Amino acid sequence: MLHGELETLLDISITLGSQPLRDQDSMTDHKASVPAQTEGMEQGPPQVLGVSDSAPPQVLGVSDSAPPQVLGVSDSAPPQVLGVSDSAPPQVLGVSDSAPPQVLGVSDSAPPHVVGVSRCDSAPLLWRDQDLRAVRGRGLVGALLGALPRTPRQNGRLGRPLLLLPEEERLLTELHATANANQSGGGVQLSLQVKQHLEEQERSLEEQRVLALQDRKSALLHAMTSSHTGSLGPSEALRGHLEALHHSFTFPRGAMAVQLSTARAGLHHCHEDRAFLRAQQPITAQHDSKAAARYQVFRDLRGRGFYLTSAGKFGGDFLVYPDDPLRFHAHFIAVVLSLDSSLSPLDVLAIARLGSNVKKTVLLCSPGGVQYPGGAEGVQYTSLQWSGMV
Amino acid sequence: MADQNKTDTDSKFYNEVLSPSELFAARSRSHKIPVRGQKDFFPDDSDEQRQRLEQSLNEHWSLISEERVEKLGNLVKATWIPSEHIVELQSPAGKFWQTMGFSAGGKQFLFPEEALYLMECGNVQVFYQELPLSIQDGYEKFLYSSTLRLQEYQVFGHLKRLGYLVHRFHPSSETSSYAKQLNLPQSRDRAGKQLKRKRSASPTATSSHTEAQEESTADRMEEDTCGQEGQEDKKLPESHLTISPETSSTQTATASPGNKGGVRTWWMLDDVGERSDHQPASAASRWDFSSISFPDLGSSRERLSSCLVSPDPSLLPGALAVGVCDVDPWRTRINLRDVKMSSKEQMREEEKRRHRSDKDREVRRCSNWAEYRQLMERRQGRRSKGRATHLWDGEVTPLHDPRQPIPTGELLDKISVIKSTHLLEGASRLQASDEWRISFNVYQPDTVADFKKSNPGKPYTRMCVCSFDGPVPDLRAIKQLAFQSGDVPVVFAVVDYGDISFYTFKDFQLPTDVFP
Repeated sequence: MLHGELETLLDISITLGSQPLRDQDSMTDHKASVPAQTEGMEQGPPQVLGVSDSAPPQVLGVSDSAPPQVLGVSDSAPPQVLGVSDSAPPQVLGVSDSAPPQVLGVSDSAPPHVVGVSRCDSAPLLWRDQDLRAVRGRGLVGALLGALPRTPRQNGRLGRPLLLLPEEERLLTELHATANANQSGGGVQLSLQVKQHLEEQERSLEEQRVLALQDRKSALLHAMTSSHTGSLGPSEALRGHLEALHHSFTFPRGAMAVQLSTARAGLHHCHEDRAFLRAQQPITAQHDSKAAARYQVFRDLRGRGFYLTSAGKFGGDFLVYPDDPLRFHAHFIAVVLSLDSSLSPLDVLAIARLGSNVKKTVLLCSPGGVQYPGGAEGVQYTSLQWSGMV
Repeated sequence: MADQNKTDTDSKFYNEVLSPSELFAARSRSHKIPVRGQKDFFPDDSDEQRQRLEQSLNEHWSLISEERVEKLGNLVKATWIPSEHIVELQSPAGKFWQTMGFSAGGKQFLFPEEALYLMECGNVQVFYQELPLSIQDGYEKFLYSSTLRLQEYQVFGHLKRLGYLVHRFHPSSETSSYAKQLNLPQSRDRAGKQLKRKRSASPTATSSHTEAQEESTADRMEEDTCGQEGQEDKKLPESHLTISPETSSTQTATASPGNKGGVRTWWMLDDVGERSDHQPASAASRWDFSSISFPDLGSSRERLSSCLVSPDPSLLPGALAVGVCDVDPWRTRINLRDVKMSSKEQMREEEKRRHRSDKDREVRRCSNWAEYRQLMERRQGRRSKGRATHLWDGEVTPLHDPRQPIPTGELLDKISVIKSTHLLEGASRLQASDEWRISFNVYQPDTVADFKKSNPGKPYTRMCVCSFDGPVPDLRAIKQLAFQSGDVPVVFAVVDYGDISFYTFKDFQLPTDVFP
């Protein structure tokens, strides 16, 4: 079985190696400009497949006794093609590799902003602008679902609400930064609310009428003064016009501008109230082992400073960005596997091909594969990248 | 633009409400969104990058935080009715009424997903208990997992923003492919009535397959229907198809001996029955065609009188009176010339007549199907002397007698081991599952101009919404959905938190390399 697997790996390496030079160049450029992308990963001597690992690669189901020479790579000199540096990974946001990465949040001096999570069909949504900003500040991206108010009939840019990944929600919950924002009974009495609303509408109508009249007058003034340059006596005529305007001006109710609120108004944002809400919220436990593994990987990568979004259409679990996705491309497709699951070579090939087609490195992640001195468990990472024969 | 940062301890309410002055100023907002620039690959700690990031973020926040402001006159007022999960319009509908919503009982209604979409577009303001609903309220109230899931609404919104017309799918209101074949007038799918369907790229229904069935012999049809359809309702209509040719053929056999116009006996009787119903008063007796003569004007052999007597008045409807008919002018109009055949043709005609008379005599002696078959076998056997009897006498016989003509395609079918199948085979037997259901009918954007809500026609595709977390549709689910959908392709819209990907399965037959 062992040899068979290695032989198949060898076969794969041969087929992968026969790529046109063009692809290789693009890949090398990709790698060369990214000398330190392998931060935080433990890299061993690279092999043809680009499967690099110092710890035994249990993920592939291959035992670690076989030395890499089988695959026929000289690992004396680190090939620049892959741009792997064996130096200590650059510190990202002050994370040292000796200890497990801390879950980063906003500096803990000020009380953390508590966001209101509204559940819609059991999905966690954020509606308030402040909440979205706070969550982004913690490095959580989420996904926007709604139509953008300015241009509602396009799909390029979407607007609120923001849908949180289950891992993001769990992270926030563990930081005690979420509160239930679904409408509960009580609050101000309904008839009072209706009365208030109608009063506000009337006030708004009046104010807008005044503003509209002012606007028209100034426009008229501007028009008259610009056309009547010189020493004509426009004041009389002007005053007459303005008077006429004042009397004949109508501002129908239909012309009033009205706001269609995105988020529901009226939720208290004072800390005391939020704290009260927070205490009441039950933490939904994740019993699914797959979900638990995903969460561990998410937390680990977030702790190292990466931004993560979902990667369903890339065939993986997460897309890993080095910084805010607004400005940077994703570097990795993270696929979460448990340590004891075996992966067939076909699957490895499929995911490697997919990754190379979209110019991203595939990251196989297994929680529990690394033990830190303190006893905490870390995540084992293995990257797959296209290299070709050198 | 929104009132923000009122986080001082004085204000209890923290909301994103615009002041009237802000509302007024919203008239002069730009309606363009800034174009997103190229992304960088790797974060170096340069100022340039940080600046660009800040700019992007600011742009992002300003777009996200902008609130919808509309003139009251442009908004259509509506109310939410939770008991029926429907939105009722209070003021007349706008342009969207052409393609969305429905009327019932004199009132205009919108489905919750349509109402929510229009709220997001800023066309409709929905009230509940006299207070306007925010978009958040709309999402929370309208989207339930039982009626309309969040994912389904995401797909709905996505398609509508692209311009497609999206309607809910009702399995009961779709006509079955059989009903379409029969060209039932109440079927709304005018396009689905073509019986002859060319094999195109899109998945087709069983119409071509069932056509082939109908064309084959009655026996094979019976076998096929019994095997395929099982205890479905479909068996009944198709077995009706099998019954009629059978009955006609059996009746033919029984009627043939001793009757000149044998085949016609049974329906003539029916006809007589009908006609006797229509007869005004008299002639309750059935017509006896042996006594009513229909003169053969065209035959030159029979000597005819030059005029026909007037028919019995009891046979004529009403008070019609018919006089004597002079036949001669009519006969001149008929071509009574003998066909001039060459000698070869004449010989062939003679042979045929001789054979036919022989056959007729023998065939008439048979009293049932079994004897007839035996007679045919005997005749066949006489013809095929010199056959390799050692091959044909055993239990296992060759697939095909080389002396019999057979088209190449059929021969290839005979020797094939694996029979190709198509997507809808066996699909009618499958029970509808809860997990996979079709959510929407999608119509193309360019049909908006002549789209009629009462008769939308055949949709472009149908959508089934699922997610990457769920299972991949197995063959059973695909078959069941394709069957439910009829001849319209089914597209799977897979939702991945924010993105939607569309997948479809197409039925494909391997080409057979056969010359017809």
